[in-house]
Amino acid sequence: MAETKQVIVKVKRQAGPKEAARWEEFSLKWRPSMNVIICLRDIAENPVTRDGKKTTPVTYDSNCLEEICGSCAMLINGKARMACSALVDQLEQPIRIEPMSKFPLVRDLAVDRQFMFESLKRVKAWIPIDGTYNLGEGPRVSPEVQEKGYPLSNCITCGNCLEVCPQVNEHNQFVGAAIISQVRLFNMHPTGAMNKSERIAAIIGPGGIQECANAQNCVHACPKGIPLTESIAEVNRDAWKQALLSWLVG
Amino acid sequence: MSSTATRPDTSYLLRKLHSFTGILPVGAFLAEHFWSNSAALVSAEKYNTVSQELQTIPFRLIVEWAAIFLPMLFHGGYGIYIWLRGKSNVSAYPWVGNWLYVTQRYTGLIAFAYIGWHLYTERWLTHGRSTYANVAADMRNPWYLTFFVVGVLASSFHLGAGIWNFLCKWGLAATVKAQQAAGRLGALVGVAFSVVGILIIISFRYDWHPFSVYLPSK
Ligand code: HEM
Ligand code: SF4
Ligand code: FES
Repeated sequence: MAETKQVIVKVKRQAGPKEAARWEEFSLKWRPSMNVIICLRDIAENPVTRDGKKTTPVTYDSNCLEEICGSCAMLINGKARMACSALVDQLEQPIRIEPMSKFPLVRDLAVDRQFMFESLKRVKAWIPIDGTYNLGEGPRVSPEVQEKGYPLSNCITCGNCLEVCPQVNEHNQFVGAAIISQVRLFNMHPTGAMNKSERIAAIIGPGGIQECANAQNCVHACPKGIPLTESIAEVNRDAWKQALLSWLVG
Repeated sequence: MSSTATRPDTSYLLRKLHSFTGILPVGAFLAEHFWSNSAALVSAEKYNTVSQELQTIPFRLIVEWAAIFLPMLFHGGYGIYIWLRGKSNVSAYPWVGNWLYVTQRYTGLIAFAYIGWHLYTERWLTHGRSTYANVAADMRNPWYLTFFVVGVLASSFHLGAGIWNFLCKWGLAATVKAQQAAGRLGALVGVAFSVVGILIIISFRYDWHPFSVYLPSK
């Protein structure tokens, strides 16, 4: 039998936001259906580089391993993707693994996506159902709205859409496609619609929807196939009506 | 809800104004300009009549500044500001929309440089009384000719891609299907403007007047 197949992986290591970055190369034993998370686990099991130097396990985030928690987004061969669904057999080797570039680095491949959660709070990406007294039943959601809303509700806040957007960078505070799509989702819900104008007001604030320049990278990068460009267009229409016409027609 | 909470950020208003000025008046002026200059395809006399008509409109300076120069300066200036605040990544993600994003910026800059030079040679140097002969003479200079061709193509591309952007960014084309249709419309405008622009250049350069057949025979 020929010698066992190897997988060559290069990982960008960085002990902290202020430490210097370096690349480490690993040679791992190939296994069927191997994905990038399995590579990182194998390294953790035996943290020795290709040239035999002892190192530390790589820090990274992951949880569900089925593209549902959104924590494992990273740059794999230069492209933003979910590590748990990136199959080794479909990747060119050596496989280069880096942290996302648009979020503050924590360590190695782990980044801090707090910006997205803060933005979700800014646009009130929820349905208010609690009051100081019983608010009773809400209006029914029509099947049509359910059908449109369901795909939008699949967002896992992975941040891929921000990572690939040329308008998301250190020069501005653009909230990115995911947040705009959530504005659409909660505005389309009959109870959520009661706060529609507040969400629109937030999304025409600093770093809001105006920063979108229609490069449309987001829709290609979204692992959940969310119709982001459609969401942005829909919210854009509500936005200019409120921003430019409300002083005329209320 | 209080009315202050719905007030948009200044950056929102400026971005919307930038987007709008791209179509009106700047895009509309480009269309008018190509249309007027098509008169050269009929005859030199027709061209001179049409341009004299335009050169003698009442309130000419006010109209020029309010409807052409100032909006174009704003659109161009703010366009460069927008450009500087973006960070292109087309080498990592070479998708069509991403290419259009980059090209929109370069063609805008080329158009800006071209229009500035064009105004200088055809309006400033001629004191606003340029004639068919002036333009035809400029076209005989190979450098001028090249700049004319590049400027016309860049402006046409920028307007075509801009129409697509505009329709998407105001939510007028929202669904994937509608955005594809908007893209086809933009492409059609870009190609049509390019073709007409090049025909006009050929007309001046080679004294070629294909529509002279419309003229009553002498
Ligand atoms: C021939 C003159 C010009 C015409 C007809 C024109 C037209 C347009 C149109 C229709 C748009 C789309 C609006 C939108 O994005 O919503 C646009 C966008 C744009 N234009 Fe122009 N423009 C011209 C000159 C310029 C110049 C001189 C610049 C300076 C670099 C420029 C820079 C831009 C940029 C950066 C955008 C994209 C804005 C964004 O992504 O949000 N344009 N233009
Ligand atoms: S919209 Fe898609 S790419 Fe963006 S955060 Fe949500 S799941 Fe990720
Ligand atoms: S581990 Fe949850 S999305 Fe990859």
